[in-house]
Amino acid sequence: MPGKKVKWIIGISLATLLLVAGGSQVYFLLRYPYFREYARINGVNLVQARETWGHPSEISEVAMGLAVEASRENWEAVARIAAKDRKSEVGTYYYNLANAMKGQLADRLMDYYQPFERGLFLPVGEKSQPFVIACASDVWFALGEMSMAERDAMLGMLFSPAHNGSRYLKRLAETNLVTGNYETASKYLRMLANSPADRKWALERFPETNWSPEYRERIERKRALLPRFDLVHGMDQTQLTLRVLLNSNPSNKMALDYLLCFDLLTKNLDAFVADYAPSLTSSHLYEEAMLIFLTAKGGMNEENFRHYNIREETVRRFNRFVSIYQRDKGSSQNIVGEFGKTYWYYFYYAARKEKS
Amino acid sequence: MQPEKKRVEFTGILLGVLLLLSGCGGKTDVRPVGGETDRTGFIFPEYCDVTIPCNIAPLNFYYTEPEGKHFVTTFTAGEHSFRQKGREVCWREKDWARLLSAHTDIRVESSYLAGGRQESFTWVIHVSEDPIDPCLTYRLIEPGFEVWDDLEIVERNLESFQTRLLSDWSHTANNCMNCHIHSQARGDLSMFYIRGKNGGAILNRNGSLRKLTLKDSSMISPTVYGEIHPAGRFGVFSTNIIVPGIHSFRGKRMEVFDTASDLCVADFDNNRMLTFPASARKDVFETFPVFSADGNYVYYCAAPARQLPAQVEQMHYSLVRVPFDAQTGSLGALADTLWSAHANAGSVCHPKASPDGRWLLFTLADYGTFPINHPECDLRMLNLQTGEILTLDAVNADKSDTYHSWSSNSRWFAFASKRGDGMFGKPYFSHVSPDGTCGKPFLLPQKDPHFYDNMLRSFNVPDLGDAPVSFDVGQVGRLWKDTPSEPFD
Repeated sequence: MPGKKVKWIIGISLATLLLVAGGSQVYFLLRYPYFREYARINGVNLVQARETWGHPSEISEVAMGLAVEASRENWEAVARIAAKDRKSEVGTYYYNLANAMKGQLADRLMDYYQPFERGLFLPVGEKSQPFVIACASDVWFALGEMSMAERDAMLGMLFSPAHNGSRYLKRLAETNLVTGNYETASKYLRMLANSPADRKWALERFPETNWSPEYRERIERKRALLPRFDLVHGMDQTQLTLRVLLNSNPSNKMALDYLLCFDLLTKNLDAFVADYAPSLTSSHLYEEAMLIFLTAKGGMNEENFRHYNIREETVRRFNRFVSIYQRDKGSSQNIVGEFGKTYWYYFYYAARKEKS
Repeated sequence: MQPEKKRVEFTGILLGVLLLLSGCGGKTDVRPVGGETDRTGFIFPEYCDVTIPCNIAPLNFYYTEPEGKHFVTTFTAGEHSFRQKGREVCWREKDWARLLSAHTDIRVESSYLAGGRQESFTWVIHVSEDPIDPCLTYRLIEPGFEVWDDLEIVERNLESFQTRLLSDWSHTANNCMNCHIHSQARGDLSMFYIRGKNGGAILNRNGSLRKLTLKDSSMISPTVYGEIHPAGRFGVFSTNIIVPGIHSFRGKRMEVFDTASDLCVADFDNNRMLTFPASARKDVFETFPVFSADGNYVYYCAAPARQLPAQVEQMHYSLVRVPFDAQTGSLGALADTLWSAHANAGSVCHPKASPDGRWLLFTLADYGTFPINHPECDLRMLNLQTGEILTLDAVNADKSDTYHSWSSNSRWFAFASKRGDGMFGKPYFSHVSPDGTCGKPFLLPQKDPHFYDNMLRSFNVPDLGDAPVSFDVGQVGRLWKDTPSEPFD
């Protein structure tokens, strides 16, 4: 009888343990859904994911949420998650990208933390974190620059834990579908078709007979953005890359806005003025930048205001900014409240933090 | 009796589960197939009408017809006949050996049911009596543009499916490694590089392993491309300032070019680097030097300097040759042009002399020095006795074919081809008959016929060896970690 009791106690204990373990796993999965999904699209299980990225936290959940929703091209969700981010390059990168997809990159640029150009294009280099590299392809794909999109997806996969996550395979398949390299795309599609979770996605993209009208339109839309002439350039020549895109397709407004914002975030006003085409894009950001330039060049006149679509209200605010700036001898104390979200504030007060 | 019956049932279920888990019984989706995909033939790898050596590992393959069923394949060679059922055709090694022992071509009959119709094909595998060298070394690398991760240098036994690591990332702190090359396919004379901290050129000479710093103060870079002289004392190398770039145009991907390059010779006996004013000119780039079979000449590629990257498409390298003095290690001052880029359209890369001295195999691209990313890049073979250049139509495909090496008997060469997917280099082999006729190349067979479907790394510089090299990954790791690199001056 005592032996039976011991067995019963052991049984109950084991069941309790299993229940607790199962419960904690369910709690974990519910609390960190993006961690789980990020692991899946990187081709690793949760144990491997913890080994690679550490234990999930609210911070990692935000970062992985951005990456996951961006991979689904769910830009509303990206914008919503980005609002929770606290000054990370990846957070800004996706905030900017989500705004750009709505045509609001420039208008909303100064509303948010901007780590200079690194919030537009994530740095991919020797010192870059694998997580950052893995995100770098998204903006190039959105812009229609498939060479860079493929390159960054390949590097993302190269530095990912399993080296074959569906996130990368899908991007590689699509970049090659857009460029018409169907032989290459078919390799990735075959791999995806053999994964139950990605099978449907892959089957719908086999070129070209399985394409729905919507998917065909998506590919055609991307193809219309492709560069139409060849130029060999360095991997980090961002402005040149954007100019090549624009040279082929001057109507690629997103590329134009990215180029102009790149010029402005690097405080390169000469480049900005050279790249700026007021007939193709407009924003209060560009008006603000032009006023700094025109002041420096002695061009503050009606003719220029008209040419660059600078509104009277913007000129009035700029004059007020200048008067406070001069009165306070450059102190930002009375400026940040009223002008903290203007390009003028960024131009005069944002300073690069040199990383050691 | 009852428990025994249960055990039998349980064993059966277990076997079934194991079979499913092992992939043999699992269903693999082979789609997409057909035109404009990387699977255009009815089998993969495409072994129809290829020529294979009499000592190659079994040619396992699968049928690509997605809706096909009831696949039956019959192989007949001499008195031997084997029948296999199923989409995947996987050989037992001893059965394959019996088939090859017939010393005759293999006739294959394939049949299957597709869309209610019976499909039947008859095809041939040509078996050459010329054996291929039993070893192939290659670097496995993701085609990751200018960076790398988890590199491995592997030696594969071509007569079986066995592989072993010669060097890998885990023993060398993930440093970059460049490809392993034999001298005239000799397993006892070979080298490769480990770059970065603690790195150097790893020289394997008669079983002795050394780590060398092949650079002196006058050189523009450490040595890059090159080859060891057949006598083993010298090596000829190029020194290159290599710059990566990327094409903007659809799908052309990465371009790599030199902004400067010269030639030099390393004296491995005296730890000396020899440089030459004739090849140190800034207005001419020299690269890809190799020795002639007898060691009396050095072949290399040379082009006038251009403004780069703007003029990268005007970088056209000619094939040239200079005498080599095997006593002193010096290069002759006057070069013969064997193939003029000025007179012909194109750019020569990677010359490789056959060990019997008959042939010089090289790559021809439209321009530049990075043929692996040039789909138009093809192999050419120069008859060193007549000067005739063979176009090797049976060998070349519509994607890059390059990074070739010779078997020690000069009857086979290996090369990396991106045919099919266009992205990943895969090792192919082609037979060379005495008159220079080349057989249809075949892809390195793998135990799992779906191996290449799931492979996301390139086989970089497949290099044939007549014997296994005498070192392994552990020795290389210790050499990298514990042994200072020998200086050269």
